[in-house]
Amino acid sequence: MFKLLKEVLRTGEATVKYPFAPVEVAKDFRGKPEHQAANCIACAACTVACPANALGMETDAGAGTRTWSINYGRCVFCGRCEEVCPTDAIRLTPDFELAVAVKADLVRTAVFRLAPCVACGKPFAPEKEVAYVTALIEATAPSEADAERRRQLVATCPACKRAHDLGQIAGSRVVRAMETSR
Amino acid sequence: MHAPTATPDAARVGSDTIAALRLKLPHAVLDESWQTPTQATLTVKLDELPNVVSTLYHEHDGWLSVMAGNDERTINGNFALYYALSMEGAEKSFIVVRAEVPAATEEFPSVTPLVPAAVWHEREVRDMFGLTPVGLPDERRLVLPDDWPDGLHPLRKDSMDYRLRPEPTGDDETYQFKNDAKGETTVVPLGPLHITSDEPGHFRLFVDGEDIIDADYRMFYVHRGMEKVAETRMGYNEVTFLADRVCGICGYAHSVAYTTSIENALGIAVPARAQAIRSVLLETERLHSHLLNLGLACHFVGFDTGFMQFFRVREKTMTLAEMLTGSRKTYALNLIGGVRRDILGEQHVATLRLIGELREEVTRLVEMLLATPNLEGRVKGVGILDPGIAREYSPVGPTVRGSGHRRDTRVDHAFAGYGGVAMPVNVGDGCDVLSRTLVRVSEFFDSLSIIEQILADAPGGPVLTEDFTYKPHKFALGFTEAPRGEDIHWSMTGDNQKLFRWRCRASTYANWPVLRYMLRGNTVSDAPLIVASIDPCYSCTDRVTVVDVNKASSVTVPYKEMERYCRERTNSPLK
Repeated sequence: MFKLLKEVLRTGEATVKYPFAPVEVAKDFRGKPEHQAANCIACAACTVACPANALGMETDAGAGTRTWSINYGRCVFCGRCEEVCPTDAIRLTPDFELAVAVKADLVRTAVFRLAPCVACGKPFAPEKEVAYVTALIEATAPSEADAERRRQLVATCPACKRAHDLGQIAGSRVVRAMETSR
Repeated sequence: MHAPTATPDAARVGSDTIAALRLKLPHAVLDESWQTPTQATLTVKLDELPNVVSTLYHEHDGWLSVMAGNDERTINGNFALYYALSMEGAEKSFIVVRAEVPAATEEFPSVTPLVPAAVWHEREVRDMFGLTPVGLPDERRLVLPDDWPDGLHPLRKDSMDYRLRPEPTGDDETYQFKNDAKGETTVVPLGPLHITSDEPGHFRLFVDGEDIIDADYRMFYVHRGMEKVAETRMGYNEVTFLADRVCGICGYAHSVAYTTSIENALGIAVPARAQAIRSVLLETERLHSHLLNLGLACHFVGFDTGFMQFFRVREKTMTLAEMLTGSRKTYALNLIGGVRRDILGEQHVATLRLIGELREEVTRLVEMLLATPNLEGRVKGVGILDPGIAREYSPVGPTVRGSGHRRDTRVDHAFAGYGGVAMPVNVGDGCDVLSRTLVRVSEFFDSLSIIEQILADAPGGPVLTEDFTYKPHKFALGFTEAPRGEDIHWSMTGDNQKLFRWRCRASTYANWPVLRYMLRGNTVSDAPLIVASIDPCYSCTDRVTVVDVNKASSVTVPYKEMERYCRERTNSPLK
């Protein structure tokens, strides 16, 4: 009994003032992920890495848009999205107060425009992703002509690329030579 | 040209045991394969399965860790059963006994009559795979609800989508609770189930006056279907984060067990520093879990000031976890091949400081607890787990160590960074609540020195390796010593970047079956204390139906009332 009283006196007041005063979290605390739409290129790497399916990506071909979304109600704050993001567009913050009055408020979205294919004109990839890849491979092009060729390549949709490749192969001398030799 | 040298048997721990087994049962073993130098899988004839498991269990100091069913019809046309035994005799290793169950018969001879520890596993395989254990005395469902459609076995590959939830067909519970009481027995009436904010589980105590004659209970009201979702929706690394959420208290132990199982299956060499960090975090988890249980022990004997004090000091362990991992719980630090965060210099220093504070404060609190006059009266000689019963059912952790069995996965099968760590195995011979509590107290202080040792000795270097490729249909066990005992996972890789099968056995799963024996012969007011002493993944009994075997009457007592009675021991709810 004496030991107990001593311990109680030694402790003093253990209660903290939270929520009336802020509470300090550790330096690298993993809290609410914040999305910087300005940095995001809608590449969807984070949506693949997310174990909880909190991150999603939906394409609306008709409207020519792609919508990125995060559901804070599903998020497990593992930070895999931050690890895989190539453009530093999503970061975990120390914020742990996520309560909302309306459930729908847990979902945040960002809408990105899709770029049309230079060949067929149909939207195929986010404008910002195309621009990002273009800048990246242009920078390493050996000549201006090569850079132009690469720009065209990136701005063409996969379907058109395939059709184009097929046309080229069909028209090439090698194929004709093979056909005649048979 | 050198002739290919066969791996010398000396390097394979467990080979002598297997040789002895082959000698005793000459025609039983069909195939032998080694997953790691301490893990062997023996494929045996189906008819010999009970004999093989029983021989390893009873003659070679084997303990049944887990049994996994597997639907291998797409691989070899059969179902398969894997009985994983932890061999703790002269050779400390894992021997997995595998038997194929023909898809045409869907029957196998039950191991339970020879090795009672298999009972829950075989009941689960019957539910999940529709394989009938012939000779299993307990014919009740374990996991599936009473109104689940017959013939729908969730873990069969061709049975159902993981999102399917069959509509409930009725509110009646048809589960038969067991009562071995010699005297007059009573048909137990069933009330509606209250899913309260606490986790649900249903206990039924068969009493004579205040004395518990027998007890039965039912779990799995909140089965989450994690194994199914892991197999069908998630990739290998994503399951790591799911494993973190198996338990709110010892999730990191599951995460390590899962990653270890995949690393063992694929032969991945995890960097030594990553393994050291895993061990530090596992011990951090043990610190907070044991303080939580000690606090609850105070609470259940009515010593709420002690409860508050333990929880106040426990906050330091939560701070430690938050600093090292970025999260108070569900650390999310593992990946297959290592960990995601290093322990840096300043964190090292802060850890040592917190460890020092914890050692000092908890020493004082434990002195205070043990000097509390009515403590011993409440916990000594209460909830006896007979060492013989323990040997039959293979419980784990402080529950089995409190009954004198020297079992600790960290020592028996060193994993993660425990290889070179000097640590004792604390056992108690009181077999009661006090004994289990004292084991936890000693382990708390051991954990502090283990963290200090590992931090001092941990080598530098990388914390993650990505130098491996996934190969299909490789399998192995992964295991950890969680605060409540051994967590063991059996994983098999698939051919579609997903697991083919993941069997995750939490430590409490191994401890529930002995609880019945621990409750017998005690008084009703001690029941919550005994349940809490195995530190179950929840100590909430939801509500308790008390049946007086002599008066043939029954009353349903809300759990809160039981808990109050346990603390205050006045105004019996039975009167």
